[in-house]
Amino acid sequence: MSALLEVNHLSIELTTRDGVAPVIDDLSFDLNAGETLSFVGESGCGKSMTALALMGLLPENISRVSAGSITFAGETLNDASEDRLRQIRGNDISMIFQEPMTSLNPVFTIGEQIAEVLRTHQKLSRRAAWKQSVELLNAVRIPQPESRAADYPFQMSGGQRQRAMIAMALACEPKLLIADEPTTALDVTVQAQIFDLLKDLRRQTGTAIILITHDMGAVAEMAERMIVMYAGRKAEYGSVQQIIEKPRHPYTQGLIACVPHITADLSNERQDLLEVPGIVPSLKDFGKDQCLFASRCEHRSSRCTQQRPEEHQFSSDHSAECWHAVEYQE
Amino acid sequence: MKATNTDSHDQHNTNAIKARSPLAEAAGMFFNNYAAVVALLILILVFLMAVFGPILYQTDPFEMVWAPFSPPGEEGFLFGTDYLGRDLLAMIINGSRVSLLIGLSAALVSIVIGVTVGALAGFYRGFVEEVLMRITEFFQVLPTLLFSMVLVALFGASLPMITFAIGIVSWTAVARITRSEFLRIREQEYVMASRASGVSNTRLMFAVILPNALPPIIVQSALMVGSAILFEAGLSFLGLTDPNIVSWGQIIGSNRQYILDAGYTVTIPGAAIFITVLAISLVGDGLNDALNPKLRQR
Amino acid sequence: MTSLLDVQNLSVRFEVKRQSLFGKKSYLYAVDDISFQIERGKTLAIVGESGSGKTTAALACARLLDAHQGKITLDGENILAKQGEALRQIRSKVQFIFQDPYSSLNPRMRAEAIVAEPLNSLSHQTSKQKREVVDQLFDAVGLRPEQKRLFPHQFSGGQRQRIGIARALATKPELIICDEPVSALDVAVQAQILNLLRKLQREFNLTYLFISHDLGVVQHMSDNIAVMYMGKVVEYADRQSLFQTPSHPYTNALLSAVPGIDPGQRRQRVLLPGDPPDPVNLPAGCRFASRCPIAVDQCFTDQPELKARQSGDHLIACHLQ
Repeated sequence: MSALLEVNHLSIELTTRDGVAPVIDDLSFDLNAGETLSFVGESGCGKSMTALALMGLLPENISRVSAGSITFAGETLNDASEDRLRQIRGNDISMIFQEPMTSLNPVFTIGEQIAEVLRTHQKLSRRAAWKQSVELLNAVRIPQPESRAADYPFQMSGGQRQRAMIAMALACEPKLLIADEPTTALDVTVQAQIFDLLKDLRRQTGTAIILITHDMGAVAEMAERMIVMYAGRKAEYGSVQQIIEKPRHPYTQGLIACVPHITADLSNERQDLLEVPGIVPSLKDFGKDQCLFASRCEHRSSRCTQQRPEEHQFSSDHSAECWHAVEYQE
Repeated sequence: MKATNTDSHDQHNTNAIKARSPLAEAAGMFFNNYAAVVALLILILVFLMAVFGPILYQTDPFEMVWAPFSPPGEEGFLFGTDYLGRDLLAMIINGSRVSLLIGLSAALVSIVIGVTVGALAGFYRGFVEEVLMRITEFFQVLPTLLFSMVLVALFGASLPMITFAIGIVSWTAVARITRSEFLRIREQEYVMASRASGVSNTRLMFAVILPNALPPIIVQSALMVGSAILFEAGLSFLGLTDPNIVSWGQIIGSNRQYILDAGYTVTIPGAAIFITVLAISLVGDGLNDALNPKLRQR
Repeated sequence: MTSLLDVQNLSVRFEVKRQSLFGKKSYLYAVDDISFQIERGKTLAIVGESGSGKTTAALACARLLDAHQGKITLDGENILAKQGEALRQIRSKVQFIFQDPYSSLNPRMRAEAIVAEPLNSLSHQTSKQKREVVDQLFDAVGLRPEQKRLFPHQFSGGQRQRIGIARALATKPELIICDEPVSALDVAVQAQILNLLRKLQREFNLTYLFISHDLGVVQHMSDNIAVMYMGKVVEYADRQSLFQTPSHPYTNALLSAVPGIDPGQRRQRVLLPGDPPDPVNLPAGCRFASRCPIAVDQCFTDQPELKARQSGDHLIACHLQ
């Protein structure tokens, strides 16, 4: 059986004032139905670009797929027509965004916006679409969905808006749901509600989820497999459990270790946090034939600054792009 | 120890960038806009004409130099002569002085009034804002041309009076823009940071908020110079002008009866006004693009 | 030992737009009768979710918002009573680090001017002395001298926050209020800034009022913690006893909601149903009752007082503990 989504050697170029930069550089992965794959990385690492590419929503004129392919349910998306992509978007692949306030239309009620999706893709009648959207709001656990469907986005709390966004994204029972930092703007207690909701929905509908986040905790909570992105490249790939237990790429190690945690040592002799020094490279350094993390890495050797690391396979389900991933681990 | 280490990559990164001020960056944007650059060149020419023209071309614009209605290009007069036989070229050159002078100073008057009113209203809010904005609205609903005609008719058609009359009817737009910018910027965190640093209210208004509010005000001012020139032309066309001074509008006004027989006497000053105001608009437009941070990448 | 900052019964309210012309004025109590103290050289963290009033409390302590009631004493002086020139002098003792390093720096000022701003308005040093102070500050926060002439947009988020920290240090303040100083930064950069803040605290014996929603960060940074919910402090304890024996049901829920990377140490999830109450029409009883998993009838009618239930210093506002 082939995977639901296959991405092969995808490269995306972005044109900026300083020239053309590969914001996604040779990225491959696949995803099966009912699975959750997580993309982790700092801002500017290309994780949101990947999501936009999958949706066929790359900003026109300034960006383009320069190599590779995206195959969704047997269909190649990167040369599909705009009409076909419109059919797929919101129907087979849908997306939830970070800030639900700005991604919902403020002048329509929540119910109208969900019904609109249903009427466009499923050709439902006005009445049936409304009924269905009330059911969807119920499914995402919004209390009194009949009356809340007539609310405008500003009348809802942040958590409710995000749940409404999820209801809208799930309206057509998509095969793939892309969640771009779905809980970053929300409080932790609300975030926990949203995660539970997503997990339930995945169990019920078999939707595959791509979770884009910067939060390792969220990954551990939600995903089976993860990809750590750095400067447009895949730094490490593997099962969440393996990576958290034994991260191979120094960047992944930094990401995991630099976050202070509530279960950490409570004695008064607090250690400084482990740092990943420096900042992410600027776009003009993207695509160079070297390890782009080298400047921030304590293990760097001359090889790191001369040659792009090859993918090193640790097991069938764990690989890292680092010249030294094997040696210094032990 | 680690915390203070900015590593080599980091250094490389910021060393590459020079300390370009926001102003320098805006200038870079502006000079990429060809229409605006051409317009700016035209404006510079007009300005040079106003400053040096009367010195280089010393013909008196009020003197009868030749037979009336001598067409352009003949008899050695580039723009011909008007109904009294005066040299039209000399009139255009001397008129540019008045047009630009009134345009600039009237714009200055309205900026001073508008920025002060808008800044106070936007900064202090509450009662001050209510009063100032009602006053602004009062001036906004006045019929502008009529009001300034009344002022000039009552107090005499001297240059300062005309300038003042134009300025007093056109500051409301500046006040509104300044107020809305102040309302927006006073909520920014860096303004609160300056307050936390003990910066006084006067400095907050004029040293912290105003510089950040300037871009739309600058654009509006540029456009206002254009409209002030048009306004002056309108007033002098109607005869409300100092008869001892040539201005472009006045040339059109005094020659208007002969528009069918000697069209050039009206079209040439008309073209001068048109080209100048259009150039100002294009420069204003270019400034708008250059100063609008939304169009700029971070 | 007396506290550097002593906040007693602080309330901050905002007027809410009236529904009709003749409607009664109604108020939103963003901070409702809270008290806390910070000892010199220590860090008090106020933790809570959005709408808990933590930032409002911080702004009131810095006199950037007006308090409705209460008393704030800094080093023996009542700072709420200060006006005009005296208030400006207080500002040199209390400085603020803002959440968003992108909007808290004036885009039209060079880095050195931003850092020097408090000096220019609050100190009487010569310009040469000021320049020396700025140089020292740049060094202390890990920025290089040649970066002084740059403008904010030429810095990364972490570097901008370093500028904000240098500005806050300029007048050698006694108290620095950090309002979510790392929540707008990438995780890898967060660690740099947190380490810097702790290093500076050790070096200059600084006192922090640290506002955050991130319990991990709070655990790492604080000595004492006040947990706020809807304008009230619901639990107030030192770091160890709060994280070891969290007692208020809200604190428990908050701690359990933090997704952990370590599967072995994951807590039993306490899921909070529903959403917080409307802050304008607050319920008569405990503000947390509507979402509380263990609420009883009393919780809906009586407001619990913040007081010690078990050991001396651990304060909880809950009827059931």
